[in-house]
Amino acid sequence: MGLSNVVGDLSLEMEVDAFRRLFPLRFYERHLSESIRPDGRTLKSARDTSVALGAVASADGSALTKIGSTTMLAAAKMEVMTPSADAPDEGSIDCCFVAVEYYMPSICSPLVRPGRPAEIAPVISKQLYDTILSSGMIDLKELSLISGKAAWMVYLDIYCLDADGALFDAALLSAVAAFSHLRFPVVSLNDEGRLVMVPEEGNGDKSGKEVVNKEKRKLSLSSPPFSLTCALHKNYILADPTSEEEAVMETFVTVVLNSSGHLVSLYKPGGPVLTQTSVIQDCIALTRQRMKEVQEILDESISGMEID
Amino acid sequence: MEYVSPEGLRIDGRRPMEMRKLHAEMGVVAKADGSAVFVMGNTKVIAAVYGPREVQNRSQQMSDQALVRCEYSMANFSTGDRMRKGKGDRRSTEISLVVRQTMEACILTHLMPRSQIDIYVQVLQADGGTRCACINAATLALADAAIPMRDLVTSCSAGYLNSTPLLDLNYVEDSAGGPDVTVGILPKMDKVTLLQMDSKLPIDTFDNVMQLAIEGCKAVATYIREVLLENTKQLEYHRGV
Repeated sequence: MGLSNVVGDLSLEMEVDAFRRLFPLRFYERHLSESIRPDGRTLKSARDTSVALGAVASADGSALTKIGSTTMLAAAKMEVMTPSADAPDEGSIDCCFVAVEYYMPSICSPLVRPGRPAEIAPVISKQLYDTILSSGMIDLKELSLISGKAAWMVYLDIYCLDADGALFDAALLSAVAAFSHLRFPVVSLNDEGRLVMVPEEGNGDKSGKEVVNKEKRKLSLSSPPFSLTCALHKNYILADPTSEEEAVMETFVTVVLNSSGHLVSLYKPGGPVLTQTSVIQDCIALTRQRMKEVQEILDESISGMEID
Repeated sequence: MEYVSPEGLRIDGRRPMEMRKLHAEMGVVAKADGSAVFVMGNTKVIAAVYGPREVQNRSQQMSDQALVRCEYSMANFSTGDRMRKGKGDRRSTEISLVVRQTMEACILTHLMPRSQIDIYVQVLQADGGTRCACINAATLALADAAIPMRDLVTSCSAGYLNSTPLLDLNYVEDSAGGPDVTVGILPKMDKVTLLQMDSKLPIDTFDNVMQLAIEGCKAVATYIREVLLENTKQLEYHRGV
């Protein structure tokens, strides 16, 4: 074909960076045929991941997660609410009582500008909310304070500080880490019979109020979910794509597993690749492997925090 | 309430002329042309600069200089009680305008005509002095983006409580209802670009408080220069110089 000859000639003379910008698909296909990616990773390996708990001092639980350059900051704050009449012993995880919000502020990417918000942000927000609820990670009964009268409402806000691909994975990891780090604030009944937060620094004696929930301080998470996004392009499966790769690849699949090995959610939002089940099985296998890595990293940072 | 104890200590144990602990890092957002985190005590702010790039709205394009835009927003969890709206409210819009005009004064916009420079500032933790931390972070982010500037812009606040001028107010001191003077200067050129004051002050006291704030700005400038020098050394090291 005339065009590919022209491209072939140009590619001999052009610098790598220019070729990468002008012909991204050919650039990537050249790498994929050698089973390697431009940043040196193999097709199946994910980027360096790190979790730092307690990144936001003013929040009840928080975590900063990085997968490669993708950075997410999650912070959870708790407030006291009255539970609904038909579920008096539970905190609620219907749309009222655990709120998960995901934001992509303008700092995270050159494509996000004031007045032109990222299209993918509400999609990921909904995905996160659905995944966290349906995974059953949080036991609603733990959120109850006084049966029928008071229960906890958890607000989880996740901010993307740097968007470089695999946004859902990093966001879910930061949510799980923030919940692991969460400590319930201490509350006591004030004179009007309302529950108020008691500040931590030893004022409890002065107010003379009885603390309602002294013993119960942490959330027990059962089988937290972990995810992996794989980009699909022709017959290649690339684990943990960067934003450059995501822009070039035909479609992607996100698989969410929980630590008991059950499939929590599967998400493939259209795209031209007709996948047979074998491809999905490969993605699930990659996710299982990734989950082990990520669980280790998370456990390390949790135990690091508990030593303090 | 007593903001300065008889021994001369403030609520957080500082002396009246003592600033909070400063910490800054550059190049924290990989996707941005320039970025920085600036921490003053418990106030933590992240700034990202995108530009010079093509103007988004053609009608605003200027043929002889760059267009500078700024957006200030606060994370929901940044304050003690969770906020509903972190941007678009009056206070955020006002601070966006103030930061934009302050940085515009020092960027050499005539060198980049028909382009746009976006400065985005996100407050991650707010404990007083967010405006100052934003300006300091924006200066570092602009330097990281290699945007030509006349001088650094550094900012610091000062107040007057219990008849004592106090440097670098935190949230409790700021909400005490006393005066709050925010100053932004170009340290090498010794010029004041930002000056805001609220509440009431006799004029000679105002002079003292403003001088104190300017001293604070100079201290921030010294720290920022150190950070820039260290960052440059790292860049040289990575290039193998």
